[in-house]
Amino acid sequence: MFTRILIANRGEIALRVQRTCRELGIETVAVYSEPDRNALHVRAADAAVCIGPGPATESYLLIDKIIEVALATGAQAIHPGYGFLSENARFADACVAAGIVFIGPSGSAMRALGDKVSARKLMETAGVPVVPGANDIDANDIETARREATRIGFPLLVKAAAGGGGRGIRVVDRLEDLEGAMRASGAEAATSFGDATIFLERYVTNARHVEVQMMADAFGEVRAYGERECSVQRRHQKLVEEAPSVAVTPEIRKAMCDAAIAAAKSCGYRNAGTVEFLLASTGEFYFLEVNARLQVEHPVTELVYGVDLVKQQLQVAAGEPLPPYPYPGPMEPRGWAIECRINGEDPYQNFMPSLGLVQHMQPPLGPGTRFDTMLFDGLDVPIFYDSLLGKLIVWAETRDLALRRMRRALRDLVIAGIATNIPFHMALFENDDFKAGRIHTGWLESSFTMPEPPEDDPREITALIAAALAAGMTAAAPAANGRPASGGSNAWARQNRSRSMSFRGGGGGWQRGTAS
Amino acid sequence: MATRHRFLVAGRERIVVVDDSGGRLTAAIDDGEPLVLDVASAGIPGVISILIEGQPHSAYVARRGAGYEVVVDGRRFQVGPATAGRQRGAVGGKDHPGEVTAPLAGVVIEVRVAVGDVVPAGQPLVVIEAMKMQNEILCPLGGTIAAIHYEAGQRAEQGALLVEYTPAEGLAL
Repeated sequence: MFTRILIANRGEIALRVQRTCRELGIETVAVYSEPDRNALHVRAADAAVCIGPGPATESYLLIDKIIEVALATGAQAIHPGYGFLSENARFADACVAAGIVFIGPSGSAMRALGDKVSARKLMETAGVPVVPGANDIDANDIETARREATRIGFPLLVKAAAGGGGRGIRVVDRLEDLEGAMRASGAEAATSFGDATIFLERYVTNARHVEVQMMADAFGEVRAYGERECSVQRRHQKLVEEAPSVAVTPEIRKAMCDAAIAAAKSCGYRNAGTVEFLLASTGEFYFLEVNARLQVEHPVTELVYGVDLVKQQLQVAAGEPLPPYPYPGPMEPRGWAIECRINGEDPYQNFMPSLGLVQHMQPPLGPGTRFDTMLFDGLDVPIFYDSLLGKLIVWAETRDLALRRMRRALRDLVIAGIATNIPFHMALFENDDFKAGRIHTGWLESSFTMPEPPEDDPREITALIAAALAAGMTAAAPAANGRPASGGSNAWARQNRSRSMSFRGGGGGWQRGTAS
Repeated sequence: MATRHRFLVAGRERIVVVDDSGGRLTAAIDDGEPLVLDVASAGIPGVISILIEGQPHSAYVARRGAGYEVVVDGRRFQVGPATAGRQRGAVGGKDHPGEVTAPLAGVVIEVRVAVGDVVPAGQPLVVIEAMKMQNEILCPLGGTIAAIHYEAGQRAEQGALLVEYTPAEGLAL
């Protein structure tokens, strides 16, 4: 096993990796950007090196710089976390070239899976179900496209082979609309990507996003840890994840896990990965893509399968075999786990990012409650990175109990100073469709409306009384000249003073800004 | 001694009268029945524990501009003084006509107008990027751009004056 690794990431995931390392007796090297100097991942590391200014392109994405730091600090391996360089094949290759272990799949496996069309062909060969479709059609070859479209059925998607970010994608409902869509898609693809090749794919409506966690070692052993339900999405961003999924029967689970294992074996995959599927309401499922990294939502799998996925990542990266597997088929999940992504976004202002100084954070505690977060009192949330502040994860024996526990934990979590999407989660967990698990990937955006705060909210009474009391308390604080300010004589302030309460008057509180 | 507080919360003016005469502490809201309180706190900013008629409530309170930010059971309230004017850059605050301030801190990545441009209401003026998301800052009223205080690449704090414009004549302000 390694004795020291570098973590090429920040925020909650850097802390998550550090915690397991600490438990295993592995030292960690943190890298950080200038505005992250005060971050928890810097404080929790055994060594910390500043790698540049705030923008990720000048710090967390600097391949050469990070490898240089790893070599200089004696790190034997690099954990990339998620995002940033985690799925960058060039980075994985560069680590190997520098004699450092990359804790993740090989660069060649990433390349094989990174291209949509080659991944699709790879999966077809491996017997993994893919969405019915047709590859490699020239945008001008209407004849072939018509023949294939009739075979696939409607509605279908016309996609640019070289596309990305939703560009070059058209939905076609009828055969007569196909030609127009092909021209549009082909033209867009030719302009944007210099390649007019398209492919056709059946459009699976009202499908769920269900993914399988897998882990592969260097000895050809691939294990699947069941599924995660990730259909609650806004603008392709997951907001809530569960394990298991209400829509997955033991039969579907077995078939999905087998498909995920076949997908991993098709490209010699090693380490942790996630195979994403579309699950149709009929129970059929289709390969979407492989996420060649540890995912944000990995904790829900950890809780229902009783594993530490980061520990297993470290073990297989160090060349150890996966721990013994006592089951003939896929393991069955134990209980139910749900994760809410706590983002710095204001749900009452169309999820506009909210950042700045976190004045107070009180984590939810108690049975079955886990909060993986970068937050602490006095953190000035930097503007350069994504809005994920933390992940609130609960476990309970059943889904219904997990829903109740999450409602309780959301109520216990206090974050003051910046707006968060906690009110969104609270509303979601009161929604009948969500509670019944009647969701699909388009459900949130098509069927859920963020309710306005209630008109006669009893919490408003508490807030008003608290504000009035605070006004009294700050007025009761001693003035700069040592004499009590006006209003300092009232009985409850005296009562408080007699309890040795300290008041901070004036503009008290956290001062913005760190030294850097 | 009774103290009368006029607050603005959730768009409504509310009156809280805190009274500690007669050896007990009460609060009455909008001239309603006084509620008996028992209070414990370690200071502001901080959590105030309030027993309202014997029922426990907790609120985190911090100063925010001339008012307070109060968080109660997952809901965040901005409790402002009803008498004071608008807090520049306060959360949910509306800009004065003729001024557009940054609703969030971020980096100005694009300026979409120039001084002298005549713009309709709703015209995007600048784009501020924060947390990898781009936010268009719109002109609330139609008018003529008078001054632009930021250029692309500069960081703007929340509440910073971004653009000044002369509202079109005849607009009811």
